[in-house]
Amino acid sequence: MPRIPFSMILKAHQENHLLPLLLKECRTIDSARNELRWLREQAVRDSKSLSRSRSGWRTRLRSMCQLRSRGYPLQYILGDQPFGDLEILCKKGVLIPRPETESYTYQAAKLVRQMALDSSDKSRPPSNARPLRVIDLCTGTGCIPLLLHALLAPHFQKLSITGIDISPLALSLAQKNLEHNLQLGQLTSRASTDIHFHRGNVLGNGSDDSILSIDSILQPYYLESGSSLADQTGGCDLLISNPPYISQSEFGNGTTARSVRLFEPKMALVPPSLVTGDEHGRPEDIFYHRILALALKLRAKITVLECGDIVQAKRVVALSETLASMESGQFSAEVWPSCERDLLENGFHATDGSRGVIIRRLP
Amino acid sequence: MRAKASESALSPALLTRARLLTAEHTKLSDRLGKSFDAKTAKRAGELAPIANVLKEWVNANDSISELKSLLDDPSTDAELRSLAIEDLESSQNVLPTISNRLKKSLIPRHPFADLPCLLEIRPGAGGDEAGLFAYEMLRMYIAFCTRRGLRPTILKQETEVGPSEDRLSEAVIEIEAEGAYDLLRTESGVHRVQRVPATETKGRTHTSAVSVMVLPSFPENGSEMDSALNFEDPTSDYYIDPQEVRVEKMRAGGAGGQHVNKTESAIRLTHIPTNTVVSMQDERSQQANRRKAWQVLRAKLAEARQEAREQELVQLRRGILGGVAKMGRGDKIRTYNFGQSRCTDHRTGITIHNLDGVLDGGDGLDTVMESVRTWMADREVEAMVAEDQAKEQK
Repeated sequence: MPRIPFSMILKAHQENHLLPLLLKECRTIDSARNELRWLREQAVRDSKSLSRSRSGWRTRLRSMCQLRSRGYPLQYILGDQPFGDLEILCKKGVLIPRPETESYTYQAAKLVRQMALDSSDKSRPPSNARPLRVIDLCTGTGCIPLLLHALLAPHFQKLSITGIDISPLALSLAQKNLEHNLQLGQLTSRASTDIHFHRGNVLGNGSDDSILSIDSILQPYYLESGSSLADQTGGCDLLISNPPYISQSEFGNGTTARSVRLFEPKMALVPPSLVTGDEHGRPEDIFYHRILALALKLRAKITVLECGDIVQAKRVVALSETLASMESGQFSAEVWPSCERDLLENGFHATDGSRGVIIRRLP
Repeated sequence: MRAKASESALSPALLTRARLLTAEHTKLSDRLGKSFDAKTAKRAGELAPIANVLKEWVNANDSISELKSLLDDPSTDAELRSLAIEDLESSQNVLPTISNRLKKSLIPRHPFADLPCLLEIRPGAGGDEAGLFAYEMLRMYIAFCTRRGLRPTILKQETEVGPSEDRLSEAVIEIEAEGAYDLLRTESGVHRVQRVPATETKGRTHTSAVSVMVLPSFPENGSEMDSALNFEDPTSDYYIDPQEVRVEKMRAGGAGGQHVNKTESAIRLTHIPTNTVVSMQDERSQQANRRKAWQVLRAKLAEARQEAREQELVQLRRGILGGVAKMGRGDKIRTYNFGQSRCTDHRTGITIHNLDGVLDGGDGLDTVMESVRTWMADREVEAMVAEDQAKEQK
């Protein structure tokens, strides 16, 4: 990472003596200034609610800035992160929602609505149809299921959204987030019955440990490849996931930022190394193998997967095509975003950074 | 009211206009008597004042001519005659006031008059000092709105890089009250400050400028508006084609996704045909920044289009009035002089000698704004008369 020029530090110091502390993580004065304002607002709020003295918030602000200068994430200090119109509570031990994930979630909601509109003219009575089913694997804070509910509830009478994670800490935070956003009025009351969080191990096969395997949770929704789609109980409309996808080397070689490496849970970032031979290809891709296989069992109409960069996304597309070739049915798999407008609008860099993979089962 | 004798006479053109509108009001009232319709009711409500004032005006004129005929009649006895003279005088005295009210009621309502507004403040020439005064103006308008019971919210507040936080580089406040646009539109233009700046070491007086723009604020959902103001309706004058707006979420290169945890949430919108750029980064939420940016973009485009339309009218009137009656946003409208502790509005010539009171958003500012409102109405009437005369000549 390039060194911050001394002139910038000096300029920042002249403006506010706390700014240079924030500059370390923020890298630009604009961004540091924003963080200082957000931290100050929080410090003042804290001191009011705790009825401390006026000097209290200054001390609090200073210690917040010092924490931040050591790379401690802003969201853990402030306690939340906006995600769409939701406020997602953040806690050490659970991955902080990223803006890219927000973009994938909006895109997924858009595709689901499009699909529903396209198929609605085929005479299917909506009243007795099974609910629109969404499954999110590695849900973390629960940000994806909650935002999807906020976006889809106005358009679908029946919704069933399942979030699955291996971490009990994440699951209790996800449940808290559901209640928190219900309280804020960002979610409609039906969210409490439409959304469910379960503990499950996406990689596990149910034979070895106490955590339920993903199969035992999703079994009821599996469809035999021969069975007709008229079977209204099984299947899944959207399978979405932001699984751990960072390789051991990218975790250590500076690609992963200091703040992430030091303070966010490694479990949510780097897939565990399983000694299962080379059947799963690269170790950082193991979740995709498992999730794509699940997508087939669930007959997922749309699958949306977050990946670390274009190269990984292309590997996932290729993998999905290999798996699909053994199946009946037509699929399309693409990297998103890829067109100029989508890239700009969602803040993606033209060549660097995260990409999503969108797989659609064609009717 | 500073009604001059010449202003009290109603031109035939204006009278015709008033009669036509009153006839329309009668027709609409009849229709409303039979069946209610919100649109008709609104239009009728707008026309009612004209009909009422015209009635007063006709009554006053009738009584004048009646009294005159009484006086002309040689058989009228002396006592009655003196009473008639007295009545005639008082009637003739109130007639100019009624005429004036009639003229004012005929001014077409500004298309944005009922809307809430955004008020944008930017320092102009004058460097640091302009930024400092821009900050004081921001405080002035916030105090003014608060005193009026309006709730101003700061949408955007950007300060210069420097030792203090009170040097503004741009601010936008939203005043979310119906009619706020009409209340504050007297403030659009260049405000000049003359004083010895805090940053000046040799005691010299500087002149700097701050530009203020009052913009209409539209609701997020266009269909909540009248069709004429619906920016989602392609037939509306204020329509914005989303395809013509480039949306950019600002982000640097390098790794993304799980690898980093950036907290920037800046959004930039560019209206490509007019190259209007709005960027917003104050909120942590990208959605909130996006919404605010759209609100400001809509406001800016609507104001620009309205201004273009007014400019066309000015061109049409120019031949008749022999000059430009409208002041554009580029014109210097007011001076705040600290040395003499005065505030002078250049449109009306009014001077208030309590500068602190003005800057606190107090009664002084009210007085200045009120004088500008009257001035604006007078200009509108002049323009209206000229326009109608031009029509007649054709």
